[in-house]
Order: sequence, then structure tokens, then C-alpha cells
Amino acid sequence: MLVLIALSILHIAAIILLLVATIDNAWWVTFNPQTSTDVWGRWVLTNNKWNLTDLPSSYPADYLQAVQATTVLACIFSIIALFVFIAELFTLPKGRRFTISGVFQVLACLFIMIAASIYTDRFHINEKSIGNYGHSFILAWIAFGLTFISSIVYFVLRKK
Amino acid sequence: MLRVLALASVVLLGIAPQASQAITVYTSWERHALVGSDVRLSCSFFSWRFVSEDVSFTWRYRPDGSRDSVSIAHYAGGEAYTDNKGAFKDRVEFVGNPKRRDGSILIKNLDFSDNGTFTCDAKNPPDIVGRPSSVRLLVFETLPIQAGVITGAIIGVVLGLLVLIVVIYYLMRFLVARRVFSLSVSKHGKKKKEGSQQRQLWTPPPLTCYPLP
Repeated sequence: MLVLIALSILHIAAIILLLVATIDNAWWVTFNPQTSTDVWGRWVLTNNKWNLTDLPSSYPADYLQAVQATTVLACIFSIIALFVFIAELFTLPKGRRFTISGVFQVLACLFIMIAASIYTDRFHINEKSIGNYGHSFILAWIAFGLTFISSIVYFVLRKK
Repeated sequence: MLRVLALASVVLLGIAPQASQAITVYTSWERHALVGSDVRLSCSFFSWRFVSEDVSFTWRYRPDGSRDSVSIAHYAGGEAYTDNKGAFKDRVEFVGNPKRRDGSILIKNLDFSDNGTFTCDAKNPPDIVGRPSSVRLLVFETLPIQAGVITGAIIGVVLGLLVLIVVIYYLMRFLVARRVFSLSVSKHGKKKKEGSQQRQLWTPPPLTCYPLP
């Protein structure tokens, strides 16, 4: 019982982190000028007001869209995995493993890993001195770890 | 009283639609094309009346940054007239089918100077009240990746594969279950049939007559 609750909390935490990483605008922050960037747009602080602008066209457009697609897919697969887990709790016969939930969760892990890796490798290569990574980026990597752990647990755990 | 009401309603029904009738012209919002290629600009209209013989289409071109527009194509009275003096000389062709409310033109061999706004004005007498519609033409050297195309493609392909795998899985399960079911039914049937056949095949042993000693 306790294991189930802990597992659900872990999974829901992973989903929340994935959603925040995808939606919140803080993959890359700079201080002078004060901007906050993510994969969808760039917020620039001018005259004490935040304005949403387009991402600079120097970004490689195809890699950017790949990061967008894979973060969204990671969120979708993680949410599907939660529902599949709840369904399997009721339908799985005793002694069987939660394989399908594990499969969905490991796919989510794979997608967020692809997204975070592409972003780390291809973006801001020459801007390391002007700014640093924001909290959404860090949360994306943490979500990768959490989804990995929870998928391993799903593959190992047996239904009592 | 009733008669007055009926007469009034008939008159109103006759007048009101005519007063609110207006022709609506449809074109694309924006077109992207490569230098040197051809582009087809479509123009269509909606009108409450049938297409009359005097239907007319007029295409105008306004370059980017200019305030004047110049006519480049005109269709009226069953004849199409195209630019024979200006920048679009011999480059524009009327390819629409006015009987089907289509007044499209084809512009060949695009150049960067063709960037601008093309306006289509359609009139279907007596339905002439309407606003022309404009399409913006952008000419590129290389077509840029439009925002969100790759994103949508990746998401669509992955989700489509997921749905496909689920459907195939359930289909296989259904087919295997049906085959097992039909096999078990046919086994039962075979056993019964074999039993009755054996009874038919069983022939009584031949009678041999031995002469009596």
C-alpha cells in the first residue's frame, strides 16, 4: 500500500516537473538585458514590463522544433502512463509486472532526454558568458531522472 | 388583419434577402513561393444568385511599400484579358472557371519584384456589393521551415504509431481468439463426423459358406 502511494507520488511529481519544464519560460536566462527564454518564445524585460518576442532567428530552427515536439511528447506519454498505471492496478492479475506503464514511462524518459540533450548541445554554444540555464532546463533534467527511476520500478514491481 | 399580415410578410421576405445579399470574395491569406517558380492565386466567391453571364473578375497588384495598385488581369463577358504592358506582361494567365465561381490566375517565373499584395474583386450582376479580398505573395530564394511544421510532424507520427500499435495488438488478440474458437468448434464437429462415418464405413464381416462335412 505504502509502495503504491510512493510510486504514485513519484509519477505525479515527474508529470508536474515535465509540465513546468515545457510550459514555463526559463530554459535560458540572461541578466543584461534581462531576458528569459524557453523553446517557445523569449520574454524581454523593458521598462519594467515583460514583453514576449520571437526567438532570435539565429536559433537552428529544425533543432528547436525537435525540442518542442519531444518535450510535448514526453508530457503526453507520462500522463498516459499514469492512467495506464491506474488501469493496471485494477485489471492486472496477481504476480504480474506493470510492463505497459513501464513502457510508456520509459518512452517519456527517452523523449525528455532527447529534448534536454539537443538543447544542451546545440543551443547557446557561444553564449556561456552572457547568461545561464534557467530553472525549466534544470527541471527537465530532474524529470528525466525521476521518469527513469519510476519506469525501472514499474518494470521490477510485481502486483500483490 | 390576417390578410394584411400575410401580404406584409411576403413583401418583407421578398425585399429583405435582396437587401442583405452581398457577394463574398475568398482568396488565400498568404502565399509563399520560390524564385523562378509558378504560383496559382485562387479566388472564389459566394453569391446568393446563380452565376450570371456578366460575371467579372478583376485582379490588381500593389507592390510592397507602394500605395498604388495596377490591374493585371480581368475577366468579363466570357473573355479573359491579361497584362500586356506592365511588369506581368506574358507572365499572367487566367486559369479559373468562372462558371464554377473560380477566378484563379497563374503567375509564371516569379521574381523578387513580385512581392506584394494581389487583390481579387469578383462581381456577379446584379449581386455587385462586396469587398475585394487580398492575398499576400512572398517570394523566397529558399523556402524557410514554417513554424511548427516539424514539431507537428514529429508529434503526429509518434502518436499515430502509438495508436497503430494499440490497434494492431487488439486486432491480433481478436483474430487469435477467433481462430482458437473456430478451431475448437471444428474439432468438436470433426469428432462427431468421424463417429458417424465410422458407423457407415463399418461393414458387416463377409459371410463365408463352408460346405457341410
